Amino acid sequence: MSDSNDTTNLLNIIVDRAHVGIFVVNQQREIVLWNQFMEIHSERKADTVVGQNLFEAFPELPRKWLDRKIENIFILKNFSFTSWEQRPYLFKFAHNRPVTGGVDCMRQDCTLMPIKDDNSEVQYVCFTLFDATDTSIYQSKLEKTTEKLRELSNRDGLTRLFNRRYVEEALEKEFNRARRYNNKLSVILTDIDFFKKVNDMYGHLAGDEVLRIMSQRLASGLRGTDVLGRYGGEEFLVVLPETDMQGAHVLAERLRKIVQAEPVAVEGESLTINISLGISELRDNTAAYAQLIAEADLALYQSKKNGRNNTTLFQPDF
Amino acid sequence: MYCTNTVSFKSVNKTITMSIPPYTEDQNDALQEVVNIAMGQAGDSLARILGNFVALSVPRIRLVTVEDVIKTVTDMVDNNAKISAVRQAFSNSLRGEAIVVFAQAGADDLADLMGYDTDLDRSAEQELLLEVGNLLVGAVITGISETLKTDLNFSAPSLMAERTPLDQVLVPEQLSWSHALLMEVNFTVESRDFNCHLLMFMAEEAIDTLRSILDEFIDRIQE
Repeated sequence: MSDSNDTTNLLNIIVDRAHVGIFVVNQQREIVLWNQFMEIHSERKADTVVGQNLFEAFPELPRKWLDRKIENIFILKNFSFTSWEQRPYLFKFAHNRPVTGGVDCMRQDCTLMPIKDDNSEVQYVCFTLFDATDTSIYQSKLEKTTEKLRELSNRDGLTRLFNRRYVEEALEKEFNRARRYNNKLSVILTDIDFFKKVNDMYGHLAGDEVLRIMSQRLASGLRGTDVLGRYGGEEFLVVLPETDMQGAHVLAERLRKIVQAEPVAVEGESLTINISLGISELRDNTAAYAQLIAEADLALYQSKKNGRNNTTLFQPDF
Repeated sequence: MYCTNTVSFKSVNKTITMSIPPYTEDQNDALQEVVNIAMGQAGDSLARILGNFVALSVPRIRLVTVEDVIKTVTDMVDNNAKISAVRQAFSNSLRGEAIVVFAQAGADDLADLMGYDTDLDRSAEQELLLEVGNLLVGAVITGISETLKTDLNFSAPSLMAERTPLDQVLVPEQLSWSHALLMEVNFTVESRDFNCHLLMFMAEEAIDTLRSILDEFIDRIQE
C-alpha cells in the first residue's frame, strides 16, 4: 500500500518537473492538469488555469484546427501529433535562446495521447509539448548553408558569373520550354578581342581584372530573364528566352558598346577592350540546345574573320 | 459503418497464406484475420473523418525481398507519377515501419474531402498528409495490438517524400534488410479520386517475434 503511494508521489513529481510540457484536457476542453514547464513558459500558475476552457485561457491557440484534432482523438482513440516544421508553435512561448536564437518564439513538437477509462472510452487528452527550438535553428542553418553551397556550385569563382555547367543547363531548360510552347529563343556567344595580348603584356593578374570588369559590364547590359555565364577562358554565353535574332542583335550591339565605352585601367595604362559576338536562334530544325551554341560559335568566328569588334548573325548557309 | 471490403476475405485466404513460407497455416490464417480487422478499423476511421464511403482492398501479406518492395510500390502507382509519402515507426513487442503512399492526385483531393480550403499552402498540405497518414497507421497499430494483446507504440509521423518521382523514394541501396514481412492495403474513396496505400514492414527479427505472439493468440482463442 505504502509502495503504491510512494510510486504515485514519485509520478506526480516527475510529471510536474519533467523538462517537457505536460497538460491534460477533458472532453469539454477544460484543463485538468498543467505541469511546471507549462507554468513557467505560459507564465500562468496551474491553479489559475485548471478548470478553465483551454481556448478561453489561451485565445492565441489555433482554435478551429486544434479543436477538431482533439475531437478526432475522442472519436478515433488514436494518438495524434503536431510538428514545428508545419506549424511552428501552438503556444506563443518565449524560448531560452533570446540572444542566439533568431526565431521569435519557442518551436514546439506536440504529442496528443488518448487517456482511456476501463471501458476503453477516451476520457482525457494528454498533451506532451517538446521544445524544438534548437532543432529548428540547426535545420535553418543547414538549409542556409545548403543554399549557399548550391549557389557557389553554380558560379564561376573569378567573375562571379554563372559557370559553364549552369548556363548550359539553363539553355537546355529554355530549349525544352521553347520547343513545348513554341517560343522564340536565341543565344549570344561573345569573346574578348586580343585577350591573349593583355595576358602576355600585362600578366595574368591584369588579365583577371579585365575579365572581372568585362563580366560586370556585360551583366549590366542584360534584361532580367537573360542568363549570362562564363563559357570558357574569355568566352561568355548569354541565353535569351523569348527573343528572336533581331532582338538578340539589338542586345548584342548594346553589349558591344557598353564594353568598349570606357577604357579599363590596367597596370597604370588605359586599355580599350572590344568584344566580338555571334548570335544564333532556335529554328524548326534545331536538333538540340548544343546546336545553338555551335551555330553561335560559327557566327562568332565570322565576326573575328570580319575584323573583330562586331556582331554576326548565324546563317544556315555559313 | 461506412466501411466495407470490396472482396470477401474468405475466398482469397488460401492463396495468400500459401505465399508466406515461415509461418504455419494456422499462424497465417490468424495473421490474415488480425490484419483484416486492423485494416478494416483503419478504413473505418478514415471514413468517419472524411464523412465518405471508403473501400479497401483485401489486405495482402507476404514475405518480400528488397527488390520485391520496389516492384510492389511501383505496381501500385503509375510508374511516372509523383507521390507523397508519410512514414511512422512502430516499436515495443514488434518493430517495423509503416508507410502511407499518396498518389499526387489523391493528395490534391484530400484537402477538399477534409473540408480545408482547396489551395493549401505547403505547410498545410504537409500537415494534412501527416494527419491522414497518422490516422491510418495509428488505427492499424492499435487494432493489431488490441487483437493480439501485445503492446505496440508508434512514433510521430514524418514526411518521406513530397511530390517526388517514385523511383527516388525507395532506393534499394539504402534499405538495410534483405527480406521483410509486408502487409499492404489500398484505400479508395469511390466517389472521388482519392486513393492511398498503406504498407507495413517488419524486418527479420520481428518476423520471429510475431510467430510466438501469433501462437499465444491462437492458444487464447482455442481455449
